[in-house]
Amino acid sequence: MAYSDKVIDHYNNPRNMGSFRKDEDGVGTGIVGAPECGDVMKLQIKVEDDTIVDAKFKTFGCGSAIASSSLATEWLKGKTVGEAGAIKNTDIVQELNLPPVKIHCSVLAEDAIKAALNDYQKKGDAASDAAQPATSKAGA
Amino acid sequence: MNADAPHAAAGRVGDRPRDLPMARSMCWHCQSEVPGEYFCAKCVKVQPLSKDLDYFTCLNLPRALNLDEQALEDTFHALSRTFHPDYFATKDDSEKAISLGNTALLNAAYRTLKDPIRRVEYLIHLEAGSAGTIRTTPPADLFDEILELQERLDAFRALSPDDAPERRQTLREQLRHDRRSLEDRKAQLDARLSDQCTKWDALQAGAGDDAAVRAQKDEILTAMRALLSNRTYVTNIVHDLAETAG
Ligand code: FES
Repeated sequence: MAYSDKVIDHYNNPRNMGSFRKDEDGVGTGIVGAPECGDVMKLQIKVEDDTIVDAKFKTFGCGSAIASSSLATEWLKGKTVGEAGAIKNTDIVQELNLPPVKIHCSVLAEDAIKAALNDYQKKGDAASDAAQPATSKAGA
Repeated sequence: MNADAPHAAAGRVGDRPRDLPMARSMCWHCQSEVPGEYFCAKCVKVQPLSKDLDYFTCLNLPRALNLDEQALEDTFHALSRTFHPDYFATKDDSEKAISLGNTALLNAAYRTLKDPIRRVEYLIHLEAGSAGTIRTTPPADLFDEILELQERLDAFRALSPDDAPERRQTLREQLRHDRRSLEDRKAQLDARLSDQCTKWDALQAGAGDDAAVRAQKDEILTAMRALLSNRTYVTNIVHDLAETAG
């Protein structure tokens, strides 16, 4: 299968690979899997004052899933929690030029973001700015 | 090639009556009525199988999971002969196309139903429709375990052979041990899946499809879907373990 240049770039030079300690303050962890292929992704965010200051991922899966999560961590940094929730898998598909059979890999990344945000919100008494309308276009 | 095919086969498939739903109830060629026949009784042209035909119906099997493998084989071979493109080599293009289309559908049906896991996946797809694609949340402990194992695998891969032979050996032993315990886990998942299959078949065989039965069926489908996806995760990691640590 021919991967796009952007996928190959993220695959060869993954951004923000690694992890935070789960119990660290302000850290939200999302672990999700794609039942279609059995691939697993872990994505973590570190939030300070409602802004995501850092993000990390570990993905055990195909190149598209690795690229999707790598890209997602790049996008997440600097976004508010509300803005982060607005990132859609379709944005990732577009940016990475994923073919139809690889859409589920981008869905995995969106799910991981959601799961990390959820975990963060569940954990923190962190202000509930999640309700704040998310207007910024993800990935712009 | 049998000289009497396909028309001799037209009347019956093996000893089975031909009562399958076709794409048309009217012959595409002579417009006479073809009540679920593979060939038009009047102009003897082959008829297309409906694209909407489900695989169980296509192979004349009940929608069961412990299915009669012999019946599956017999029907498949009989129908393969009936629609085999070789028999239509001298026919016109429409008939050739129908023969190819029917053969493709038949092959897909056979491949899917022959494999017990794909059979379950297909049943879920048929019965649960779009609900079948809803993500199940796999148990968190399974995921934690998988991530831990993957990290251990990474560590193992990172060790160079001459560097740390002892550490490598220890890690390899550990990974092999992990693999065995995951294989047990997979066997357990398979056993539970097979229980659900038996339950499904019992419900399916029973009369009636009222709301209570439907609810029970949905419950089984949900359970099967969760088991299948956990099985995929476990299969994946077992594969990775076997590949890396033997
Ligand atoms: S194939 Fe599994 S996530 Fe891409």
